[in-house]
Amino acid sequence: MIGLLLYLALGVGLLVFLWALARRKGAPVEGCGRQFVEARQALRTLQFGLLPESLIERIFDPEDFRYVTAASPGEIGKLFLQERTRISLMWVRRVRSEIRNLMHFHLAYSRLHAKLSLLTEIQLALDFAVLLLACRTLRMLLYVRGPYGARAMVGVLTAAAGRVCAASEKSLAFLNPPALESFRRDSAGHGAAI
Amino acid sequence: MLSLLLWPAGLLFELLLLVRSVQTKTFTKYFYFYAYISCIFAVSTGLYIGRSMSPSFYEAWYWPTQFATLMMGCGVVLEIVRQALPAYPGAERIARVASCAVFAVTFCYVEWHVASRTEWSTVAATVELERDLRVIEALVLFTVLAIVFYYRIDLGKNVTGMIVGFGAYVGVSLTTLALRSFLGARFNAGWGDLQTMSYFFALIVWTVALWSYSPNPDPPGGGGGSAGYDALVDGTRARLDSVRSQLGGVAR
Repeated sequence: MIGLLLYLALGVGLLVFLWALARRKGAPVEGCGRQFVEARQALRTLQFGLLPESLIERIFDPEDFRYVTAASPGEIGKLFLQERTRISLMWVRRVRSEIRNLMHFHLAYSRLHAKLSLLTEIQLALDFAVLLLACRTLRMLLYVRGPYGARAMVGVLTAAAGRVCAASEKSLAFLNPPALESFRRDSAGHGAAI
Repeated sequence: MLSLLLWPAGLLFELLLLVRSVQTKTFTKYFYFYAYISCIFAVSTGLYIGRSMSPSFYEAWYWPTQFATLMMGCGVVLEIVRQALPAYPGAERIARVASCAVFAVTFCYVEWHVASRTEWSTVAATVELERDLRVIEALVLFTVLAIVFYYRIDLGKNVTGMIVGFGAYVGVSLTTLALRSFLGARFNAGWGDLQTMSYFFALIVWTVALWSYSPNPDPPGGGGGSAGYDALVDGTRARLDSVRSQLGGVAR
């Protein structure tokens, strides 16, 4: 019986995949230059627009909320919290979108490389999946607990960061080494590490 | 009954496909695929003529020829793998490694399964072989399709048609073979008709998709150098690390 179900699942799954293939509109054939521009744009947006420590501090620091609740009536505090939740959700959505851009950039280029490694690709796919899942989880936490209730994510995210840190010492030389070196120098002051 | 009606129509479609392949000069471009069609056409024509002369001829030759066409069917999968990803060496490499792994694992499982059998009959063995080969073909097609979707690879009309037609035939065959092994002889009539219909559907899809030569779109330029992959991976990892650590910071 289990064998039957497996065969049926395989057969039906294949038919569903084919249906998706037949319905698929032509995948966008991105030009080389456009891909580079988009990837760099995504990187810049993340580094300078979405991830600088100052911006993150501004959105997620509970001190602002404490100040508002102490200095104004309760309704103002509630309104402030609503607005801050909305902004933090918007921020997570944008971060997720830029991560997806970077992922698409990686896929668009890795598929052309003859030296591509299956193991590395699986690892990277998992890394992207974990990161996107973390964004989704963070979004849910922000929905449920508001912008100041996401502390439980610290352990998970820092552990994941540590794992990837060990493998990511090298630079982004392949894009445009001189430009990125200057990014690295410039970004040190903002706290958005490359 | 339905099978008897679709049989001559199928022969016409096969002949049409072969004639078009010569006219459009695609026979050599998709050699394994057209070799499969030629084999099916020769076998079907022979069986059709033989059956009209002597019913025992059909019974004697059906299973041996079925075995030959099954083997040729693997050539279509090979053709799909060969044609779908040649412009994407990285994706092709993954498809090749994954397909070999799928084949090796399934082959080992089937060997083990056959070795553990106590009873043996040619018909049952051929049916099981067909099911096992269909499993391999389905898994390889799954792998190719997963890679095509994951890496957002654009396919031409010819290759898409090959995949959709053959995939539909394999998917229906696999499902009906599984049901036949579960329901037994009472499913034989339905099994035959469903297989014939799915093959006929595949022929229609192939005829439409391969009517004219339509190669895969060229991939965008850039990349490709083997030396660049390590840098690309390192770059991606570095960006991931950066985003991850920043997100970690948010949660603090």
